[in-house]
Amino acid sequence: MDIKEKFERILSEVEKPARYCGGEWNTPDVKKPHRADMCFCFPELYEIGMSNLGVQILYDIVNKDDDFVAERCYAPGLDLAAKLKENNIPLLSLETRKPLKDFAVLGFSIGFELLYTNVLYMLDLAGIPFYASQRGEEYPILLAGGPCTVNPEPFADFFDVIVCGEGEEADINLLRAVADGKDKGLSKAEILQLVNGMEGIYVPSLHKDGETVKKAIVRDFENASFPSRPLVPNIEAVHDRAVVELYRGCGSGCRFCQAGFWYRPIRERSAQRCARLGMDMINSAGFGEMSLCSLSTGDYTHLEELENILVPFCDEKRVNLALPSLRISSFSSDMVRQSRRSSLTFAPEAGTQRLRNVINKNVTDEEIDNLAGAFEAGYDSIKLYFMLGLPTETDEDIAGIAEICKRLKGLYYLKRHKRGLNISVSCAVFIPKPCTPFQWEAQISFEEMLRRQSYLRGLLREIKGVTFSWHGAETSVLEAALARGDRRQSAVIERAYRLGARFDAWTEQFKWELWTQAFADCGLSVDDYIRERGTDEALPWDFIDTGVSKKYLLKERALGYKEITTKNCREGCNACGANKFGKCTIY
Amino acid sequence: MVVLKHVKRDSACFISHIDMLRHVSRILRRAGIPVKFSQGFNPHALVFFSPPLAVGVSSDSEYLAIDTDMPKDEVMERYNRAVPYTISAEKAFACEKNPNLQAKIIAADYIFDVAFAPLDFSGGFEIEYTKKGETVKENVSDRIINAFDVDGKLCMRLANGNSSLRPDRILGELNRRLGSDLRVTDVKKIAQYVDDSGLTVAVDEFLTESSK
Repeated sequence: MDIKEKFERILSEVEKPARYCGGEWNTPDVKKPHRADMCFCFPELYEIGMSNLGVQILYDIVNKDDDFVAERCYAPGLDLAAKLKENNIPLLSLETRKPLKDFAVLGFSIGFELLYTNVLYMLDLAGIPFYASQRGEEYPILLAGGPCTVNPEPFADFFDVIVCGEGEEADINLLRAVADGKDKGLSKAEILQLVNGMEGIYVPSLHKDGETVKKAIVRDFENASFPSRPLVPNIEAVHDRAVVELYRGCGSGCRFCQAGFWYRPIRERSAQRCARLGMDMINSAGFGEMSLCSLSTGDYTHLEELENILVPFCDEKRVNLALPSLRISSFSSDMVRQSRRSSLTFAPEAGTQRLRNVINKNVTDEEIDNLAGAFEAGYDSIKLYFMLGLPTETDEDIAGIAEICKRLKGLYYLKRHKRGLNISVSCAVFIPKPCTPFQWEAQISFEEMLRRQSYLRGLLREIKGVTFSWHGAETSVLEAALARGDRRQSAVIERAYRLGARFDAWTEQFKWELWTQAFADCGLSVDDYIRERGTDEALPWDFIDTGVSKKYLLKERALGYKEITTKNCREGCNACGANKFGKCTIY
Repeated sequence: MVVLKHVKRDSACFISHIDMLRHVSRILRRAGIPVKFSQGFNPHALVFFSPPLAVGVSSDSEYLAIDTDMPKDEVMERYNRAVPYTISAEKAFACEKNPNLQAKIIAADYIFDVAFAPLDFSGGFEIEYTKKGETVKENVSDRIINAFDVDGKLCMRLANGNSSLRPDRILGELNRRLGSDLRVTDVKKIAQYVDDSGLTVAVDEFLTESSK
């Protein structure tokens, strides 16, 4: 029996076998003649991975190119992993069931710090050594990309190449270099020499102190390739819908937000093109839902024009048009009236105006009052997102969260009396992230997290109709430690994996004690990573040029402490420095 | 109303019934087959299915009833252009109204990938399986209609529909009796039957009759 047959035999013994079958509608031809092949590896389960827009975009781009093919591989569930080991089957790609080892390039998408051990989990199952230095010519070139490349140092030792920033152009350039190199009979080391220095490309083994790596960005976002024939997941995915990306970047300048700074400059797509993409996606895939995606969808300049095209189209096709992640200030009751949703979602992030000024979340109490319009339109349910542990936060700010809930209830009863308002309050813990004005901040201690959570829980318990959910303190500490980690953490991640850590993002799988032991075994302490950093300290990610200068981040931090807000970039340039990658394109 | 008879083969055998429901609404949308919707707050497409198939079992005989005014041949042609070969349709029937197969179907034939050998059910047919984490033991001989030889392979007619016997659940006992190593993927449904005024009639025949 060959590997494929062996694999097919064990499929009937695992949970949700359709995860591992491939053959999704709109799968491109991955058997066409090609110069080089790659496999996108997503270190989470199929249902999560299939919801990732980044991978869909890159997969589409590579497969559209005549010279290359891309396949996919998602982290198998623990049950399949055990069967693979037991039957001596290496991890296989989804489309052609080819061992990962046999690809020219493996591209890992890393979007969350708690996925780091899953990268090793997949390499382990694939029979590939973890460290770049341990892999000879017989192994593929390992590539990492995705949002975590803002600070790639914790996983740098595992990879041959890291694409910092947006992969649309960088991935193809890299594949071309690999194909050219192979044609010329170059060794892996020689190919790495060739790609080192290309925009967005970081080769950890060749990097010298003092060198900078410029992040990769898509300059012509209007015409950038987008998957208008998206894959249709075999089983229900987390985000199972057509997703249209309206623009990249964000002008809000929330001081805690990594994406808001990392994806600068702002690049908008025209309403015409967005609408075309959305309609093509529905027509080719048949999704029953469409969502408009960006960091702050309500701020999109042409939202009205876009809605004027999409609303009639979606009505005719019986497609639900969803508008997520609205900031309150961009809320207009008209918009809500036109969509058919039962629940509204808003993110004030902090309970008082004072703290919102600190973090530059430019949402005012008056704007929160705007929600009355939504209640009038018939909404009975609202989700609110907040963060605990923001810099300068006091108990008064936390109490402000409860005040907002009370205020909303009051507004609701002014307009409607029937069913009662359901408010769902979700609180994350503030995590200081690289490439933000708060990158130097300390994270509050573990004990303090628990105290503030229980304080808020007590306040909210007194308000009828409010449900409260919060993020685990342990995972928040780990996320903070890894987000601002350095090269020494590769050993910690490996150690944690060897001790049994995997699927750390899953509450039922997360084992904090493995991580504390892993840090200790490597002679490191978690506390050292979540402490406040000195402004004169060299930070592990300083070598990446994101466009936004350190000086600007420091200035923003100082303004935060003075509770002074910075205007939205859409009202005028704040000179953050990102325009060296091209001007913001807000039409 | 158009009823499509479709297959579920190869990897599609792993798509669960619930996932199939979702797929069908997408298939119809991308195929451009205009389907009628229910009235009410949460309108849903008027699409009806034959009884669920256990995950891992393939089939030559699944039915999908669609409330549409489009001619049946066009429905099938559009459907087949919008699906992978693993769930393609092979026949289309036009019906006055919903044939309500979910309620009418009483039996199905399954072919097992093992040489035919006579089986004795006179002493009962005791099976054991896990349901929601608990081990269930039961005698299912009342839901085994018969066993016969199809091209040298074992074929069994099992109760299907409201009172049904899942073929995957009898594999353990079959393997014990036959000394085989059958897995769920070695089972294929080849026909379904309805109760038509007390007579057991193959669904194809029933639909052909009712479309006249």
